[in-house]
Amino acid sequence: MPDLIDGSQDVSVHGILNWIMLLGIFSVITVIGNYVGYKHPMADSLIGMAILSLITLAGVWMERKLPLNISSIIYISVMGILLAFPGMPTSKFVLHYVSQVELLSIVTVFLAYVGIGMGKSWEEFRALGGRAIIVTMLVIAATYYGSAVVAHIILTLTGVPAI
Amino acid sequence: MSIPKKGNDGQVEHIYREKTDRRILRKNPWRDYRLHGTVLILVVIAELIGTINIPITKDVVITIMPLIFTIILGLVFYLAKPITWIKRRQARIAEGAMMLFIGVLIAKLAISSGQSLHLIFDMGPALILQELGHLATILILPLALLLGFKEEAIGMTNSIGREPNVAVVVDKYGFNSPESRGVFAIFIIGSVIGTIFISFLVSFSLSFIPLHPYAYAMASGVGSASMNAAAIGPTLAAFPGMETSIEAFAGFSNLLSFCVGIYIVIFIALPLTEKMYKWLEPKIGREYIVKTEEDDENA
Repeated sequence: MPDLIDGSQDVSVHGILNWIMLLGIFSVITVIGNYVGYKHPMADSLIGMAILSLITLAGVWMERKLPLNISSIIYISVMGILLAFPGMPTSKFVLHYVSQVELLSIVTVFLAYVGIGMGKSWEEFRALGGRAIIVTMLVIAATYYGSAVVAHIILTLTGVPAI
Repeated sequence: MSIPKKGNDGQVEHIYREKTDRRILRKNPWRDYRLHGTVLILVVIAELIGTINIPITKDVVITIMPLIFTIILGLVFYLAKPITWIKRRQARIAEGAMMLFIGVLIAKLAISSGQSLHLIFDMGPALILQELGHLATILILPLALLLGFKEEAIGMTNSIGREPNVAVVVDKYGFNSPESRGVFAIFIIGSVIGTIFISFLVSFSLSFIPLHPYAYAMASGVGSASMNAAAIGPTLAAFPGMETSIEAFAGFSNLLSFCVGIYIVIFIALPLTEKMYKWLEPKIGREYIVKTEEDDENA
């Protein structure tokens, strides 16, 4: 399959349309899952997903269009925090609708795509060998426990109540 | 498949992004109704099954969330022979689309963070210092050496090996170095099993180890959106009524792992890993396993 295409057409109108359509599909699937799993009203959660999609779209666009070498994830995070910050005029509106979309509903849909995408490299992954799998699991566990223990010690030392 | 190359501007940061862009922008990915229809069905099935609690002992309960069902069902759908409408093309689109959908996840986490911004001022020291806890990965270096890895081990154990870390390692050692192969291996395997592994790890730890709820929340920000989310699930279930603050701490911590974590890797973790490698390798290094050399690159 020809896979060598130059990236010069990055942000064409065509590209933005693709992003919008994909985010639209993702939103609809998430809203349905959100309704089945958590019974949140569909109309409200659809507005919530629209807000999240717009932030994503802006972040992805900024990463490719602005001359700064900053990942879209950072743009999206900063925009999300600013829009929801209690002092901002947007915060009440954004919080009301976005809270209708459960984080877990989004992750559930997201991971369905991950699962399908993973299938493609299944053979390569199996060929990698058990040794690297062991190291990966240990590394993840070490990261997790490392920060959990440090956080626990400092929270306890600074006297933050557990509830 | 071609090896991701440096971008035109000489930056390595977006090696995966470029590949994704090509996929997303060229093929009208939203028209693939087979893929999206299947995902919808998977999601509805998973949500209908709902959360399953498997009691192992009186106090230990393993929680399986719908998100585990969708990832496994997705994989099964691709691999199962009778299912002819989910093939390589759909997987490629799914892979590309997924990179875009990470944004939605991050946006949701950011909004939870913004809502509780005051908490970061109250909890600042813990939130920032726990980032240093990620250095614990270096403790795995001796084990990697005992398993027969050489310089790969430096790439493998300096951090959790997500996108920013891959960029740092490739930038420092060059694309075809053993160190880069190591970090790619962790990246790929982490992408495949990371979410499942961490959700089991978290469910297990929550039942066994009595740590501060906020410590659990902060620890789930490992620097990977999907692992972060997978780790939050069981944590939310374990501490009902604290959803907003747990989501906020997890989101902040993950954000910090992205922006501060990368500097910790550059200035502390990598030099430290190298020192430890130089010291330990002559002592406990095993015979080199050359076999992995080719496999690791076929990401």
